[in-house]
Amino acid sequence: MLRKDINELLTQTGPGTPMGNLFRQYWLPALLAEELAEDGAAPVRVKLLSERLLAFRDSEGRYGLIDEFCAHRGASLWFGRNEEAGLRCPYHGWKYDVTGQCIEVPSESDNSSFCQNVKLTSYPLVKIGDLLWTYMGDPATTPPLPEYEFALVPAEQTYTSKRWQQCNWLQAFEGGIDSSHVTFLHSGGLKSDPLFKGSKGNEYNMKDTKPFFEVADSEGGLFVGARRNAEPGTYYWRITPWVMPNFTMVPPRGDHPVHGHFWVPIDDENCWTYSFDYHPVRALTDTERQAMIDGHGVHSKNIPGTYRPAANMDNDYLMDREAQRRGDTYSGVAGIAMQDASLQESMGPIVDRSKERLVPADSGIIKARQKLRKAAIALRDEGVTPPGVDPAHHKVRSAAVVLPVAESFLDSCRDAVTVTPGVAQTTV
Amino acid sequence: MTVPVTWPSESARAASREESRFRITRPLAPARNARVIALDPAAEAVARRVARGPWAKARFYTVAGAAGDAAAPLLELHGRPAALADILTGTDVVVILASEDTGRAQAAAIGRECGARAITTAGVVLGDGFEADGAMAALRPYARVLLLSADESDVFELLTALRV
Repeated sequence: MLRKDINELLTQTGPGTPMGNLFRQYWLPALLAEELAEDGAAPVRVKLLSERLLAFRDSEGRYGLIDEFCAHRGASLWFGRNEEAGLRCPYHGWKYDVTGQCIEVPSESDNSSFCQNVKLTSYPLVKIGDLLWTYMGDPATTPPLPEYEFALVPAEQTYTSKRWQQCNWLQAFEGGIDSSHVTFLHSGGLKSDPLFKGSKGNEYNMKDTKPFFEVADSEGGLFVGARRNAEPGTYYWRITPWVMPNFTMVPPRGDHPVHGHFWVPIDDENCWTYSFDYHPVRALTDTERQAMIDGHGVHSKNIPGTYRPAANMDNDYLMDREAQRRGDTYSGVAGIAMQDASLQESMGPIVDRSKERLVPADSGIIKARQKLRKAAIALRDEGVTPPGVDPAHHKVRSAAVVLPVAESFLDSCRDAVTVTPGVAQTTV
Repeated sequence: MTVPVTWPSESARAASREESRFRITRPLAPARNARVIALDPAAEAVARRVARGPWAKARFYTVAGAAGDAAAPLLELHGRPAALADILTGTDVVVILASEDTGRAQAAAIGRECGARAITTAGVVLGDGFEADGAMAALRPYARVLLLSADESDVFELLTALRV
């Protein structure tokens, strides 16, 4: 249960809101690098944190993220011409560089300095891994660039996709730290998904449907440990890290690539779910990469040319009751990503958390909400930099381990949940 | 598989902002009888502060007598003794607070009794956890969730979320 005012605080991320200001402390995924694949590529509309922006890669290869609308008459620069180191509005020819600086106003005389005083809002846009990242906060406090392992390993070891999710970012994110739904909602995928099936851990997952949880603070957020019975005298632990505000990882299964998510607010009723898979020490196989492209694992099969899932709310997520009856899928929706999204979207654009009936097993979610609220208020009232800004906080991993019953997952797995380049993930 | 697409589908309609107002609103009564048991003096201090909250169905207890005695009686916060069996009667959830290892034996005893009665148990280990390793280990087999917390407001948040 969450009071309405706290729910509003956590779910509203537009300019000037406490959570909006919190998000603006971090480098965030703005779009996939593939969306601006070449110099002079067509500009891409990007809505982030309720701001309408335009991303483009100029003819010199520089990336920019600027206000979508021309300073002259407010026309959308999405119709613009990306040419000769700038983006030109097709209405009256005003031209902007990647910093949003107006560099040409054709109607002014050649020596006019008018355009020097015209500058659109702009944010830096930097390619790291498969993503273009932006920082939308005060330029004076720009943090160091992000250092998440999935984005830093060689290109052949990583793959990232994205999908539009039609609900507030918080209810999507909360699924990422909720390990107890896996045994039910994703039980079909544990048996059949090419990026999930075949691990010993899956057997523990399926045999024990009532996990116990331990939740512990980390420097950047939380570790949520879900514990199930393994062999006598041992527990199977799945450890999920959360780095504030919106990065989560899924504990690994066997030698499958490790996956995780970024949940990025588009506005208060929509978010981008960025889903990645990577292997710390080897290239993804052709089969694995193709499975990801085909929408298996945490990825989705999208409508060609878009990032909207092919199974979406407008077609009832291609509900298949026969598959549900057979047990191929638990909910009747195919694919792990859309099994999550369908239920999270069904809650409504912003779920009313004052009506919830939480249980102790939801403590990870309870704690995450508390940390977000406290960080947003500490930033607002005292200017405190929130956890997760420091790149040192990004160097976490998920892990899956079998431990003796008396051992604490946190004490036993400190190395396992810390990035060590060249060392494989800890997995069962 | 081909599914005819109609727009808006029921999924789209039901998830819209406009339709959200038709979700049935029913007053939610406090859902759970909760018992909060503090196992050591620092945990008791937290329990006393949290007990001032607006709880409808939460009762708070502490452990009497010498630390480490599994048979030590429990006390209500104003000092009246209370038997564990009585405390647990009609209880839905027990939240155990510990900040050090002295409460290990009580933690195990309470956890066992809750387990036998199918009462959901949660443990909040206050501080950095290192001083309460033993209490954590004792609670681990029984507590549905263990919250390792440097922040005593976690107790308040947990009880609020559970609607006690």
